[in-house]
Amino acid sequence: MSKETPLLPISDAREAALYFVVGALCFLAALAALVSRGTYTAAEAWSAQVEGEITVILEDADRRSADALAGQIEGLAGVVEARVLTREELETLLEPSFGPGGMPEGLPLPLLIAVLSDPETDVSDEITALAATAGLDAEVSAHSGYARDVRRALSVLRLVALGAVALLAATAIAVIAFATHAALLARRDIVDVLHLSGAEDKFIAGLFERRFWVLALKAGAVGALLALMVTALIVFSGGAQGETAAQLLPQLSLDFVDLIILTLTPVLAGLSSRMAAHITVMQSLKGTL
Amino acid sequence: MSRFRPDFHDEASVRLDGVSLSYERTGEVLSEIDLKLASGSFTFLTGPSGAGKSSLLKLLYLAHAPDRGVVRLFGRATHDLKRQQLSALRRRIGVVFQEFRLLSHLTAAENVALPLRVAGRKASSYRQEVTDLLRWVGLGERMDAPIPSLSGGEQQRVAIARALINKPDLVIADEPTGNVDEEMGRRILRLLAELNRRAGTTVLIATHDLGLIREFDAPVLRLTNGMLVKDVEYGGAA
Repeated sequence: MSKETPLLPISDAREAALYFVVGALCFLAALAALVSRGTYTAAEAWSAQVEGEITVILEDADRRSADALAGQIEGLAGVVEARVLTREELETLLEPSFGPGGMPEGLPLPLLIAVLSDPETDVSDEITALAATAGLDAEVSAHSGYARDVRRALSVLRLVALGAVALLAATAIAVIAFATHAALLARRDIVDVLHLSGAEDKFIAGLFERRFWVLALKAGAVGALLALMVTALIVFSGGAQGETAAQLLPQLSLDFVDLIILTLTPVLAGLSSRMAAHITVMQSLKGTL
Repeated sequence: MSRFRPDFHDEASVRLDGVSLSYERTGEVLSEIDLKLASGSFTFLTGPSGAGKSSLLKLLYLAHAPDRGVVRLFGRATHDLKRQQLSALRRRIGVVFQEFRLLSHLTAAENVALPLRVAGRKASSYRQEVTDLLRWVGLGERMDAPIPSLSGGEQQRVAIARALINKPDLVIADEPTGNVDEEMGRRILRLLAELNRRAGTTVLIATHDLGLIREFDAPVLRLTNGMLVKDVEYGGAA
């Protein structure tokens, strides 16, 4: 009697299968949580970058008028910088359409004024007014408009990812509840003996709680570790990094918050399993001995 | 062995008034049972198979509730008790089964200690009690033996020790000699009789082994078709 043997016999084949299922669910939940956070981070970074940008397109304007308008725009409150883009810069912008060979000679190009302003201040109307006063045909395009659309789309993606986390967590809880019920039936003999020995329901529930807490903690740790390895693979292989379009993909970074998420995954899995086991046993024992 | 005295103490350990019990599949198994077991009494319950002995015992160790009538244990009606109170009451009852109902993954000593673990006691606080009790039932050398390695008689003695470790006020034994040979059965009943004599524990033993019953000078209750047809009958002198 030096070390007390657990009252519920140690694991059997069913628990190995359960271990695998909970581990897989934790892996998916951790990955979904990281993707959710990565989506949010990507949306924030991209929005912050473009929301203060305004492009002014000038048709049939000469360079001098454009420079003058840029000077006037720079004088507006909230504007950090306004400058007319050079032909080389325009070619770089249009390179995805025309290829690296450059644009055909003689192709008329509008003049573009790139304005960088405080994202909180919308100066689009004032720029339109300045251009009209100068007699220029200007089209003012604030990037914040489509940044909002992108942000909305990414929010939906984020919600989907969080929904996936919630669904996986609910699935894990349901699996544990089912497993607890099965274990309770399989160990009916032990439960009866414990009841006859004067055990209260909560004592018996405690045995199952501890069993599934430990199981989920271990399985969750393995799942989180796998998620860490997959994320590290993506991060270090540069899978979610890069230019332009890649910036819109979830940014998996493995920073401090990501590590917190991975650390919490097994703990939350354990706590949820414990709760599921407790409720299942207490409900199941009602109406028994 | 001294003769049985029905009202040795004022308070009855067990009292059943008009108790009936039915099962959905088999119908009524106990009908209008009136029974009183005085505190400190030693009683046999007998009857043919299917007479309702086990069902009656189940009412007493609170595995079932009656359809009609009142079960009182230690002066307290059990029908309106909450689950926690039922658990507390069960700690005053030790039960011995024909099929032992030991936990096969535990050792003999761990099985005996089970009610104490359930009560929240630490192993260090009950080690000596378990050792003493296992010695008393003749298993001092087999404390750490796994249950599957024990014979039927040894397992039954472990079950008796488990039923007694809490120093219960009432011990109920359901065919405790059913799975052991005659000599071991006699030894087991003597252990229970000694417990009754030395500790004043109320003992009720269900058995159909009339040969063994006659060796004890104790009252016999007889159940037939769910009815208690003869409530006191003395066995032959031991």
